Amino acid sequence: MNEKKESAFFSIRDLNVQYKSGAQTVYAVNGVSFDLAAGETLGLVGETGAGKTTIAKSILRILPPHAVKKMEGQVLYEGEDIFQMNDTELRKIRGHQISMIFQDPMTALNPVKRVNEQIAEGYIQHHHCTKAEAEKRAEEMLELVGISADRAGEYPHQFSGGMKQRVVIAMALACSPRLLIADEPTTALDVTIQAQVLDLIKRLRDELGTSMILITHDLGVVAGICDQVAVIYAGRIIEYGTKADVFRHPTHPYTIGLFGALPDLKKDVERLSPIEGLPPDPTEQIEGCAFYPRCERRCEKCKSYRYEPTRLSDTHTILCCNPAGEGEEK
Amino acid sequence: MSNLLEIEHLKKYFKSARGTVHAVDDVNLTIEAGKTVGLVGESGCGKSTLGRTIVHLQESTDGVIRFDGKDVTHLDKKQMLEFRKNAQIIFQDPYSSLDPRQTVQDIIQEPMRLLTKDSKAEIEKKSDELMDIVGIEKRLRLSYPHELDGGRRQRVGIARALALNPKFVVCDEPVSSLDVSIQAQILNLLMDLQDQLGLTYLFITHDMSVVRHISDYICVMYLGQMIEKTDKKSLFDQPLHPYTKALLSAIPTVDIDAQPERIQLKGEINSPIDPKPGCRFAKRCPYAQHCCHEPVPLTEVQPGHFVACHRVKEINQL
Repeated sequence: MNEKKESAFFSIRDLNVQYKSGAQTVYAVNGVSFDLAAGETLGLVGETGAGKTTIAKSILRILPPHAVKKMEGQVLYEGEDIFQMNDTELRKIRGHQISMIFQDPMTALNPVKRVNEQIAEGYIQHHHCTKAEAEKRAEEMLELVGISADRAGEYPHQFSGGMKQRVVIAMALACSPRLLIADEPTTALDVTIQAQVLDLIKRLRDELGTSMILITHDLGVVAGICDQVAVIYAGRIIEYGTKADVFRHPTHPYTIGLFGALPDLKKDVERLSPIEGLPPDPTEQIEGCAFYPRCERRCEKCKSYRYEPTRLSDTHTILCCNPAGEGEEK
Repeated sequence: MSNLLEIEHLKKYFKSARGTVHAVDDVNLTIEAGKTVGLVGESGCGKSTLGRTIVHLQESTDGVIRFDGKDVTHLDKKQMLEFRKNAQIIFQDPYSSLDPRQTVQDIIQEPMRLLTKDSKAEIEKKSDELMDIVGIEKRLRLSYPHELDGGRRQRVGIARALALNPKFVVCDEPVSSLDVSIQAQILNLLMDLQDQLGLTYLFITHDMSVVRHISDYICVMYLGQMIEKTDKKSLFDQPLHPYTKALLSAIPTVDIDAQPERIQLKGEINSPIDPKPGCRFAKRCPYAQHCCHEPVPLTEVQPGHFVACHRVKEINQL
């Protein structure tokens, strides 16, 4: 939704993804665009079904082909469109230049393979090295994520949840990718373990200079780790800005609603202000703004809204035709 | 106010191939009528087991449970049915806790059909009222759980728990599987119901901001034991146990200007199988010393503030 920056090393242009669901069409992603500068971290925030994971998986083209009805747009990595690549070109990028940490460490690992083999697998593919070299790399990676190399020959079930997620991180970073996509990397973990894993991701990102797209539903996680924030609703980025833009001056009524619905750790609030209603049915194509039925600021204009972005500043954009103005009660 | 629930030295052990799992180990707890006690801790700390043992979904291994002044530790079948009318539970997962082959109205009516002598018409009237109270549209009477979204399913679970007018409800992570905007709807509903019906809650959660919002008192569990117990204000203003401090510091906050100083804990939660005597947190505790291998009881450190830590006074300069 922001204009193309010359320096962007990764961008998505007008991504649309639709799934088949029986006779129906699921409109999962409806025109998403963003740029990511090298070394930056973008947080994609949104609720279940908003389209976050679909965006992530389309970047690497790992959506199940039989379920996808339409996948359009451009995913530009250093100017090359990933959607136009053939399989050989794609394999050079996947897991090497761009890799992914999946949400659930229990299912992301192969239960019948030792963890060092799993970490080494991608490294052998991309570096054409011997098994011994790759396993040495696997041990280095395990040490890097805080697991003793002695345990390299163990199976996933011998590790706890937090350690499995560390193994997944080691796997994703083994080839020193330039872009890391982390899909809810800590959602399955307890808070104290989450804190350890987030600090680890942050430290490795900074040491290795990796760019990152972090997908989460937790605004607190975004606040701790991201530079840019994109709030997603019904398959669209409805607010985009720097962390300061979105956290200090949330402007889209949905973003404001999300902050209002969070119980506060420091303040006593008599009653939470939930966003009334439910997210729209993704099988329906909606005329006008998708947030309309739940929005506190809805007006006639919204019914025919065509998603022209409103620029609030150089860095801050929203998709809303009736936002609260400066100084107005939000 | 009188205590609705009193638990003394409650234990729940499970046998496993590798030894005995001390899921709940010598826990004392009282809940005043009409109040909410929040029970927090990380996965595997025994908080759900404690909740399920209290409502007799599992039999306790040892200890006493008193409900409304009566000893309910061991119940025969008839007494159990009577007890169930007063003590109910809302489960974490609204997907697996509803029978997929029953309609919404069957699910809500089932407790009344089983445990009351009300006529069919009365039960139908009551179930419609319950749907109103928890905010489920009546057109959904004949829908099946798979046709509902997570928030509505949780509302059905709440209506079922309330069908027998219980005094006490264990809420076992009722909002953990819901999105924030829906979570707020359900939390408001639970608080409104407490006001209207005078309910008493044991609210189990791993989310510190949720527990702060809903509870009057808070208990923190670690590996089967209660390690800190006090009113909400003291716990958040002045946490005394090193684990509680670390837990609070680990929570990601949306305040980008005041990111917490993290207290990094080493390692992960130990195994609850045949634990050694002494403080179970010692292995991860930044303050652990030799004395921490001695058993440590929960003691009143300040008025109404109970902590199980040998070095609590030193660490907090009390």
